[in-house]
Amino acid sequence: MEKIVSYLVGHCEKLQHLPEDFIYLALQVVAGLLVLMLFVAPFAGIISFVERRIAARVMDRVGPNRVGPQGIFQWLADGVKSLLKEDIIPAQADSVLFRLAPYLVFVGMFAAFVVVPFSSGLIVADLNIGIFYLIAVTSIVVVGIMMSGWASNNKYSLLGGMRSAAQIVSYEIPAGLSILAVVILSGSLSIQSIIKAQGAYPWQWFLFQNPLMPIAFISLFIASLAEGNRTPFDIPEAESELVSGYSTEYSGMRFVFFYFEEWANLYLIAAVSTALFLGGWNLPSAVVSWAQTKGDVLLHLLQFLTFFIKAMVMVFIIIQLRWTLPRVRVDQLMALCWKYLTPIGFVVSLGWQLGWLYFLRECLWSVM
Amino acid sequence: MSENLVEPMQLNIGPAHPATHGALRFHVDLDGETIKKSRTEIGYLHRAFEKHSEISTWSQIIPYTDRLNYCSSLMNNVGYCKAVEELLQIQIPERAIFIRVIVSELARIMDHLICVGTAAVDLGALTNFWYFFNVREQIYDFTEKLCGARLTTNYTRIGGVMRDLSPGFQDGIKKVLKDLDKAIAQVVGLLERNRIFMDRTQGVGTISKEDAIAYGFTGPCLRATGVPHDLRRAQPYYHYDEFDFEIPVGTMGDAYDRLMVRVEEMRQSSKIVEQALSRIPDGPIISSDARIALPPKEKVYGSIEGLMNHFMLLTDGIKPPKGQVYSATEAANGELGFYIISDGGARPYRIHCRPPCFPIASAFDKMVENSMIADAVAILGGLNIVVGELDR
Amino acid sequence: MPMIELKDIAFIILALITLGSAGGVAFSKKIIYSGFSLLGSLFGVAGLYILLSNDFIAATQLLIYVGGVLILILFAIMLTSKIGDIAVTNKSINWKVAIPIIAGLACFLISSFSGDIWKVADKTPYQSSVSFIGNALLKEFLLPFEVISIVLLCALIGSIVILKREVK
Repeated sequence: MEKIVSYLVGHCEKLQHLPEDFIYLALQVVAGLLVLMLFVAPFAGIISFVERRIAARVMDRVGPNRVGPQGIFQWLADGVKSLLKEDIIPAQADSVLFRLAPYLVFVGMFAAFVVVPFSSGLIVADLNIGIFYLIAVTSIVVVGIMMSGWASNNKYSLLGGMRSAAQIVSYEIPAGLSILAVVILSGSLSIQSIIKAQGAYPWQWFLFQNPLMPIAFISLFIASLAEGNRTPFDIPEAESELVSGYSTEYSGMRFVFFYFEEWANLYLIAAVSTALFLGGWNLPSAVVSWAQTKGDVLLHLLQFLTFFIKAMVMVFIIIQLRWTLPRVRVDQLMALCWKYLTPIGFVVSLGWQLGWLYFLRECLWSVM
Repeated sequence: MSENLVEPMQLNIGPAHPATHGALRFHVDLDGETIKKSRTEIGYLHRAFEKHSEISTWSQIIPYTDRLNYCSSLMNNVGYCKAVEELLQIQIPERAIFIRVIVSELARIMDHLICVGTAAVDLGALTNFWYFFNVREQIYDFTEKLCGARLTTNYTRIGGVMRDLSPGFQDGIKKVLKDLDKAIAQVVGLLERNRIFMDRTQGVGTISKEDAIAYGFTGPCLRATGVPHDLRRAQPYYHYDEFDFEIPVGTMGDAYDRLMVRVEEMRQSSKIVEQALSRIPDGPIISSDARIALPPKEKVYGSIEGLMNHFMLLTDGIKPPKGQVYSATEAANGELGFYIISDGGARPYRIHCRPPCFPIASAFDKMVENSMIADAVAILGGLNIVVGELDR
Repeated sequence: MPMIELKDIAFIILALITLGSAGGVAFSKKIIYSGFSLLGSLFGVAGLYILLSNDFIAATQLLIYVGGVLILILFAIMLTSKIGDIAVTNKSINWKVAIPIIAGLACFLISSFSGDIWKVADKTPYQSSVSFIGNALLKEFLLPFEVISIVLLCALIGSIVILKREVK
C-alpha cells in the first residue's frame, strides 16, 4: 500500500496537496470496491450457475444450458431478471426493517471480504486481528436475518430467522475454537501471517501439523457450513418445512441479496479453510524465485491461482455435499454443536499444546 | 412459569405448503418448534367424485377414477372396473387380467417412486427424487404408448382393457426394470444407512400395530408396523396367489420403516411384472359380451349389428343387475375399495370409494403430537397422503 | 482555525451514529425498533475503538455485543408472545423525573470536559493490541481473568439447572 501511495504521489502533482490520510482512505475504498465488483459479485453470480450445473450433473439431468454456450450467461440473465422484477413489500410487513434487512446481510458478508487474501500482496487490508475481525463482522449478518424474519410479518419467516440466529450464534463457538487451534500454532491473528507460517507442500500445511489438526479442520468445516446455512444445515430456509424461511416474503433484487450473501459465503468458507489449513497461496520457493525474475505480476497471479484452486476444491466439496445429504433437524443441529463439536473444539484447540508441551514431552524425555 | 401465560403459537401448515403436496391443511399449536396439537382439515380438493358418479354412466366414471390417486391412476382404473365386473358377475379374458396385473404393478412402482422421492425431498435430499424420476419418466413413456396419456390414463374398460400392449412393450419394460433396480440401489445407497436420514426418520411418527389396525391402516403404512396384511395375499385376485413375491414388513412402524417397506415393495412389484410378462397368454383383451364391451371398429363400420351395438352401449350404457358389491384391490397406498349399489339402471345408484389415505390421514394428528415441525414433514412424506384420493 | 483532520470527521460521524442510535433505543415507540437501534449504537462504539487504535476491543465489541448480546435481546423480544400485535410498546415518557436527572448529568459532564485535565497522548505508531492484551491477561491480571471465567461457568451451569427444572 505504501508503495502505491508513494508512486501515486510521485507521479501526480495534484495529489501532493492532499494529506496522505485521504489518499489511503480513497485507496482503501477503491480496493474494496474492486474486490467487490471484480471478484465477489461475479463469483457469486458464476458460482450460482456452477452450482446449478453441478447439481444437475449429480442428479442426472442437464441443468441450465440455454443462455450462451453451455448456459454460462445464465447468471447474468437471472440477475437482470431479478432487477426487472416487481419489488413487493407485503402490506402487513414492517416496511422500514423489511428494506433495511437485505443491506445488513449484504454489508455483513462483504465487510468480511476485506481480510480475505488473494495472494501475498493482493488483500484489501491485512488487519492484525484479521480472522477475529472476520468472525466478528459476519455477526452483523445474523442481525440482518433476524430483522428480515421479523419484518416479513410471517410466522414461517420468523421461525426461519430465529432458527438461523440460534444456529449461527451457536456454531460460532466451535468455529472459533477450531480457529483458535490455528492461531495458537501460528501465533498471529492476521490471515497473511497465518498463511506465511505454513508452506507450499502439504506436510507444511497446518492441516497436518499435528494429529489433532485434521479434526480441527473438519470441525471448522462443519461449523462454517452451519454458519453459512448450507445443506445439511440449511434448516433456516428449509423449503419443505418453512417454505423459504426468512426470505419467503422477499422478491426481486432484495431476494437476490440474500442469495448473493449465500454464494459469497460459499467462497468465504472455502477461503478461510484454505488460508487457515491448506497453506493458502504458498508456492514452493523455487517457483517464487523464478516468478520474481519475470516480475511481480506473474508471482501474484500464480499465488492467486494456487489460492483460488484450493478454495474451489473446497467449494466443490461443499456443493457436492449439498446435493448428497438430507437436512438435519433443529434439535439435532444444536446437539451436534453443543454435545460434539464444542467439546471437540476445546480438545483440539488446547489439547495438543497441553498434551505435547507438558505431558508427552516429559514422558518422552524421561524414557530417553 | 404457569401454563396459561405461554400461549401456543398458531401456525397453518397448508393448504398451500411445499410439504403437503396438494391442498391439505394442518392447523398446529406450536410451543417453540414442538407441535402440541394438530388439527387436520381436509376437503380443499373435494370434487364430489361420488356424487358425480351418480349422474354418469358406468363407463363414464372410469376417467374420474384417474383423479383419485393421480400418482397411480392405472390402479384406480383397475380397482373400479374390477368392482363393476363383480357386480356384473362376468369373467374377463386371461390376457386382460395379466395386462391389468402388469399395469397395476407398474403403477405401484410409480407411486412408490414418487412417495419415497418426495419424502426424501421433504427431508432435504433432492437428488434421490431425480434418480427415481428418471425411471418414472421411462415408465410414463410406456404408459403413454399404452393409452395415449401419462397421468390421466383411463386405460381399463369394463370387461377388459382399452388397448393391447404396445409393440416392444415386453423388452422395453424389462430394460426399465433393470434401470429401476439401479435407481433403487443408488437411492438406497444414499439413504438407507445415512446417519442424518436415519436420525430424521427412525422413531419419528411411530404407531403401534394395534393403533394402526384400530385406525384402519392398510397398505405399506400398516405393513411398516409389522402386520403382513396385503390384499394380494389375503384375498387373492387376478392370480396374485400364483405369483412369487414377498410381503415386506417393518418392525417399528416409524417413518423410516414406511419408506423402506415401499422401497422393498418396488423390488417385489418388479418381480411380479417380470413373471406376468413371461406368463402372459395371447387372446382377446376385452370381453366379447356385447352388453358390456364395445364391438371392434371393423364391426361398427362394417355391419349394422355392430353399429347398433355401439350406439346402444354409448347412449344407453351398461346395465348391471340390481344389487350391491364391495370390491377391494391392493392399491399403492393400501386397500382401495369401491362399494357400489346398482338399481339396475344405466347409472349407479351410489358409489362409495374407500381411499386408503383417509384412515391414514386421520391418524396424522396423533402421530405428530409432541414432535417438531421438521418431524411433521418427515411423517407426512412417509404416509404418502394423496389429497386427490383423500378428498375425492 | 486548525485544519480538520480525517480522524476528526470520522469521530464526528461515529459519534453521531452512536448517539443517534442511542436516541433511537430510548425514544422508539416499538420495542423491536429499540432493539435494532442498539445495533447502530454498538457499531458506532466499535468504530470509536478503532479510532483509538484498539482493533481487538473493537472486534470483541462486535462479536460479543452484536453477535451475542444483541441477538439475545432480539430473541427475548421476539419470543415474547403477541409482541407483534402491540403497536406502541414504549409509552411512558416521564418528563418530571427525566429532566432534572439529565440536567444534573449534563452539568457534571460539561464541567468535567471543560476542565483542563485531558492529556493528549503522544502520537505513537500503531501497534497491535492483541499480544499486549494477551500478555496482560495471562500475567498481570491472571487472577481476575480466572475469577471472571469461574463466574461465567457458574452462570452457565445455573442457567442449565434452571432450564432443566422447567423442562421437567
